[in-house]
Amino acid sequence: MTHVAPDGQTIAPAEAAGAATPVLEARGVYKVFVTRGRGGLRAMTALRRVDLQVRRGEFLTLIGPSGCGKSTVLNMFAGLTAPTDGTVLHEGVPIRGVNTRGGYVTQDDNLLPWRTTLGNVQIALELKGVRRDERHERAMAYLAAVGLRGFEHHYPHELSGGMRKRVSIVRTLVDTSVNVILMDEPFGPLDAQTRLVLQDELLRLWEGSGRTIVFVTHDLVEAIALSDRIAIFTGAPGTIKDVREVPIPRPRDVFHIHDAHGFAEIYDAIWAGLRAELTTEPMHDG
Amino acid sequence: MVDALAGAAAREARYEAALRRRATGEALSHQRRVTRTVVSWQVAMLLLLLFAWWGASGRLLDRLFLSDPISVMAAFWRILADGSLWYHLRYTLVETLLGYVLGASTGLVGAVLTWLAPGGEPVLRPLVLLAYATPKIALAPLMILWFGIGVLPKVVLAATFVFFIVFLNTMAGLAAVNPGLVNVVRVMGASPIGIFRKVMVPSALPFIVAGLRITVPAALIGAIVAEFISSNRGVGYLINAASARYRTADVFAGIVGLLFVVLLMNAGVSVLERSWLRWAPQIRNPLG
Repeated sequence: MTHVAPDGQTIAPAEAAGAATPVLEARGVYKVFVTRGRGGLRAMTALRRVDLQVRRGEFLTLIGPSGCGKSTVLNMFAGLTAPTDGTVLHEGVPIRGVNTRGGYVTQDDNLLPWRTTLGNVQIALELKGVRRDERHERAMAYLAAVGLRGFEHHYPHELSGGMRKRVSIVRTLVDTSVNVILMDEPFGPLDAQTRLVLQDELLRLWEGSGRTIVFVTHDLVEAIALSDRIAIFTGAPGTIKDVREVPIPRPRDVFHIHDAHGFAEIYDAIWAGLRAELTTEPMHDG
Repeated sequence: MVDALAGAAAREARYEAALRRRATGEALSHQRRVTRTVVSWQVAMLLLLLFAWWGASGRLLDRLFLSDPISVMAAFWRILADGSLWYHLRYTLVETLLGYVLGASTGLVGAVLTWLAPGGEPVLRPLVLLAYATPKIALAPLMILWFGIGVLPKVVLAATFVFFIVFLNTMAGLAAVNPGLVNVVRVMGASPIGIFRKVMVPSALPFIVAGLRITVPAALIGAIVAEFISSNRGVGYLINAASARYRTADVFAGIVGLLFVVLLMNAGVSVLERSWLRWAPQIRNPLG
């Protein structure tokens, strides 16, 4: 089965590992951070025996109190952080060094401020050696899909927060050699309305693309609106407490997700588990 | 009904267009007013200074030490007309330019190599800072001792004035690169060279350009100082010789010549800066 992106490109099909192999997997992952404190070095366990399997083509959300290490898991999938113990795998192969087969969308838009919208969207293709005219065509198709036609020659500081976020998402999606997208609270800094619009746009770009998305958030409604499954983390040291299926059919209407059949049940079920973590958790940052 | 609606919409559009024109016009005239005020104040202060100088000369202070604006203008005109300013300026300019190019290129290349070498930055930076803190003027006699009294010692001293600032600024620029940008591009599969070219260099560019800019007058200072110590050519020599003979007007005339050179250099660097840093929001340069 092939999938077609907004620019008519075919998205790389799943690799030969077979549909049964998880796209991403964490096996018995521990992470210990060593920080320099007043009394010398201090070791803190951030993750405790995390086991997680990400299925091909699913939208999986990691949710949990701040400081629970959910972003650390994402950074391990991106190959930016190595586990202290345990293994992180991509298509069944341990990740060593930066995982360049994943796309990475951060909370800060991290656009290159010296490049225009078009230049930012093209950078991944440029690094992969895609021809100039093809790069341009594909970038423009994606920009059109998120309503950024007419802003292609603007620099990031000339765009609104929502527009910058669109550029940062589209620049990851435009690289069709990437079939796993890692998103670390991408909509965190946005206002409530822009958030909803962008959630809707993300779902439209993702649905039918066959891509796998791992999404980190601490917003339960956002998690339910977007995900197929939600992995709930405990407070620090983080471990996965529960993984829930979201039974709401697709395509979804993020603007009226509260009215969707089954929303209240899944919300209450997950919230009960989350609240327990919020009240027992000592204050942590990030 | 439909026509009436269309008519109303057209009227509204015309009204709004007029509003936009008016707002644009107002913004423009405001901007002009501000510029006019600033320039008039600058001219007024300059005139006041010249007037105070003229007034003090011969009344409050000895004309021998102070000269006066009119004599300076006459002296400037004289050295301009008889070609002696240009004769000396030529040497000073060549020394400044060569010193600048030498100092800036070694500073840039040195900083990049130090950055790329593992452990280079923590080892070298304190040493460079120490050398930077040493008064370069104290090196001038050594330069003469080592390189004679020709063009070379001036070039080398000018280069030392430039090197450290460019080196340290470039290092600071490379250190200030947002690691988030680097990570995003790494995950996209950029090679170390790709990261350097596409993230490190453009990101550090404002620092590098600032370093290249503030060292333009520094190179001139280096050349002039070396000329003061020992030379028989150059504007530094011209000023020094005039001062030895108490020809204060000629000293000031030489300084005025240097002033024009610095203004010209600054304008040149500004043009470069604007073309390189078009992406940056409202960069405000203290020297611009």
